[in-house]
Amino acid sequence: MSLVTDILIATVPLMLIFATLFAFTTWLERKALARIQNRIGPNKVGIPCTRIGLFGLGQPAADGIKMIFKENIVPRGADRLFHLLAPILALIPSMLVLCFLPLDFPWLNENSVKAFLLDGAVIFFFAITGLNTLSVFMAGWASRNKYSLLGGMRAVAQMVSYEIPLVLSAVIVVMMVGSLNAAEIANAQAGWNWFVFTPWGFAAFVIFFIAALAETNRSPFDLPEAESEIIAGYFTEYSGFKFALFFLAEYIAMFAISGLAVTLFLGGGHGPGLTDAPWLSVIWFLAKIFTLIAVMIWLRGTLPRLRVDQLMGFAWKFMLPLSILNIFIAGSALHLMAGDRLADLEEKQPVLRQLMEGANLPVVAGLWFGALLILYVAAKGLNQLNRPNVRPREYKYAE
Amino acid sequence: MSTAAAPNYELIQQDGLETNLLEVSMGPHHPSTHGVFRMDVKLDGETVVDLRPVFGYLHRNHEKLAENMSYLSSMPFTDRLDYFNSMTNNWAYALAAEKLIEVEVPERAEYLRVIMAELTRLVNHVSLVGFFINDLGALGTPLLYAFREREKILDLFEQASGARMMCNYFRFGGLRNDVPEGWLKRAGEVVDRFPSFLDEYEQLLCENEIILSRTQGVGNLPRELAISAGITGPMLRASGVAYDLRKVDQYGIYDRFKFRVPYTDGDTGDCYDRFMIRMLEMRESIEILKQALAGIPEGEIMGNAPRVFKPKPAESYGRIEGPKGELGFYLIADGTPKPYRYRVRPPSLINLTVLRDMCLGGKIADAVIILGSIDIVLGEVDR
Amino acid sequence: MSILGGGIFKGMAVTLRNFVGSYINKKERLPTNDYSWRADGALPQGIGDYPKEKGEQLSDTTTVTEYSRNFPMLLHDGGEPMDTVRCVACQICERECPPQCIYIEKDYDENGKYIKRPAVFDIDVSVCMSCQICVEVCPFDAIVMNSQFELSTPDRFGGLLVRRDDLLKSNDYYHKIHPEEAAARDQKMAVEKAAKEAKKKAAAEKAKAAAEKKAAEAAKEEAE
Repeated sequence: MSLVTDILIATVPLMLIFATLFAFTTWLERKALARIQNRIGPNKVGIPCTRIGLFGLGQPAADGIKMIFKENIVPRGADRLFHLLAPILALIPSMLVLCFLPLDFPWLNENSVKAFLLDGAVIFFFAITGLNTLSVFMAGWASRNKYSLLGGMRAVAQMVSYEIPLVLSAVIVVMMVGSLNAAEIANAQAGWNWFVFTPWGFAAFVIFFIAALAETNRSPFDLPEAESEIIAGYFTEYSGFKFALFFLAEYIAMFAISGLAVTLFLGGGHGPGLTDAPWLSVIWFLAKIFTLIAVMIWLRGTLPRLRVDQLMGFAWKFMLPLSILNIFIAGSALHLMAGDRLADLEEKQPVLRQLMEGANLPVVAGLWFGALLILYVAAKGLNQLNRPNVRPREYKYAE
Repeated sequence: MSTAAAPNYELIQQDGLETNLLEVSMGPHHPSTHGVFRMDVKLDGETVVDLRPVFGYLHRNHEKLAENMSYLSSMPFTDRLDYFNSMTNNWAYALAAEKLIEVEVPERAEYLRVIMAELTRLVNHVSLVGFFINDLGALGTPLLYAFREREKILDLFEQASGARMMCNYFRFGGLRNDVPEGWLKRAGEVVDRFPSFLDEYEQLLCENEIILSRTQGVGNLPRELAISAGITGPMLRASGVAYDLRKVDQYGIYDRFKFRVPYTDGDTGDCYDRFMIRMLEMRESIEILKQALAGIPEGEIMGNAPRVFKPKPAESYGRIEGPKGELGFYLIADGTPKPYRYRVRPPSLINLTVLRDMCLGGKIADAVIILGSIDIVLGEVDR
Repeated sequence: MSILGGGIFKGMAVTLRNFVGSYINKKERLPTNDYSWRADGALPQGIGDYPKEKGEQLSDTTTVTEYSRNFPMLLHDGGEPMDTVRCVACQICERECPPQCIYIEKDYDENGKYIKRPAVFDIDVSVCMSCQICVEVCPFDAIVMNSQFELSTPDRFGGLLVRRDDLLKSNDYYHKIHPEEAAARDQKMAVEKAAKEAKKKAAAEKAKAAAEKKAAEAAKEEAE
């Protein structure tokens, strides 16, 4: 019995908090996109039965109620079982991986069940996020619609290709910490030793972020839901609550992957003022997740989308070589920094911090500058190789 | 449709694997076909193997209607041909009819006509670039910036003629009414702020790697094909031919203005060229506007043409460089107040005839972009 | 060599500038939300907020500019509308209307003589395309454009057929909604009227002079 209550205490608040954050994020996205596009977003739906529009904060609730009451349309000849299962299968992995984020809620003490203390948490994360691909394809196939099928196939190709740079950039962090445990990775960045401040960590963060955009089908990689070509892609035929479930799944996946990015690279919960108030770590964690979400929304408002073959080319011919190169550079830099202290490294302690403690400052600075230079030159070179003639052009004038 | 060059695609044929072509109708209800236009595409995976455009969903019988009413009464219907550019449509019709009745247009009216036409060109090009980038997937941000500027120009049109889009402003021999007081000053303000908006727009778009890689090399239109298919307008200039009716015909008073005509250096044009040529043309339009607003004289705005006229039996063809291409009106008069035959040369339709040649071998995403770069308005295609 | 991804960063800078600008520089960035030309500077928010005056539906005229046009109206010069209506039912606008949305019937008195008034003057607003041709061709300045746009009605069969009595609006109302155009039209009418008066006076003087001359000649003849 106590195990059941332990599990409930560990998971239910998480679900409630993130569901509220999802509602808030939809509101934020609509308002932010609107302001970027020089218009005001929703601002009428506030407190019901009054004229007070609290900047439109009631809009997510209104949308949710509307979607629940919509008619559930399934196309004739569609596969009813998979049509129903697809949104559920999209939601479950996204919600499941939320447990692996190192959120130290104040009501959890040392005896509570904490999923993120799993010794292979990062591996589990990637394994479970892979299930999203399956649900997208189920949705595309089960709708019996050519547009959905096109969207589903594109989505599968995209999500499978971008998982590799995603995982490879996480390998760098694991190398720097020496453990797959999410809590240990977060604690290794205490103080201001965030991994994003190292050159290979920064490159890995950029690659991770771009791959995360592709995994969650956000702009500029929103080909599967490309509105201007295939209407709504794999969820063209979904209406009402199932559409709401897809929507929820996409946003929770965004939260989950941003949460992993924060854990791996951005110091996951560490920030000023933690010694006095340990519950602030949750606030910092959520603040960092929201910064990443804001950048995602900003990119959505700015960039057009890539074509499918350019997307695949980008993943396989640019990001993959770059992430492999990054691993080599990180490994060689760590080895060069360690020198002959390699045998003295303690187990279960962050590798980078130990190496940085006794290191020679000019050597470290030189290594870091060299690493940045090599990475930038490699990126430019790959770009030039893949798309040799893409540049702005000049035009003639006739009088 | 015209015969195509050999398309550069190959169907995947392996032993034991039969592939079928997927036939998709990007049908009349589609967010990005610029109106009720249908393309039946046959796809092999994502590659377009065949494309058949179907239009006619917006046919409103414009040419036959004009045979039943006087010349003046069919002026409002010309607004609705290419509903984005009502002023230039009016001008082309007015030119055609003025050739039949030989009336002088006063100076001030000529200057105002040029101002209205160049403002319309700005509206059209900026909206087209906005829609083009919208088709590329940038969720409406450049489009809404473009519409923000278009609103200012539409306010100017409303003050001059009473309506924002369906202006019905040009008459045979001049314009309907003079612009109100302060209009020229307001127009000057709008024109002065436009270059800074264009700079911001270019900064948003013209070096964006995603736009570059998606539009360069897509939708190649060789120069010979363009000339033989009768393409006109920015599409022709993007394919390397320096031909602009404002310089060739010099209708109106275009010979008094100093402006340049941008065109591509080379002999093929792709979507990027068409998009950039339109951005450059907007800057030239601003030059013309500045010169016109500075040099406009006082005077009357209507020559003395009768309201109802019965022209002698003759035919005339009036054409202008509209924002989409050469818009022409062919009128046959037979001595009665109503025309015997009234024919519109729609630039959008004639530019559409090379759609299939440009799309074959590309991906389906490219088909949408190519259609966007041709700049069609279904009101003109279907009349 | 430009920065890798430089174009994307430039685009993001523009978007950020627009985002921030929409809060601090509303005149430049949110021009369509600018209602400063209205008296209270904002759109009415609620259903009962539109100013409505008894008799005439002024609700729309306070939310559009003074240059816009929507569908026609018949002018009368004050007092009882049908006494001072300018329209004489000449049916020129009916003939010239491009979508043929006007239907006019002349008014006859008890003896069957034609009075210069319309008995029936219907405009089908769902057909009217606001082209202003009827205004242009009217020789009596009797029909001008109104700018009302709140014309929706739940009656599908004939609800959008606006009859003569609803079309009649006073010249003062015209001055209220289109001040410049109304002033110009009044001036033109005054000039025409003055010209007509002058011509009549000149003709009357000529007739008087001719009559006097004739009387003088007749007197001379008698004297001889």
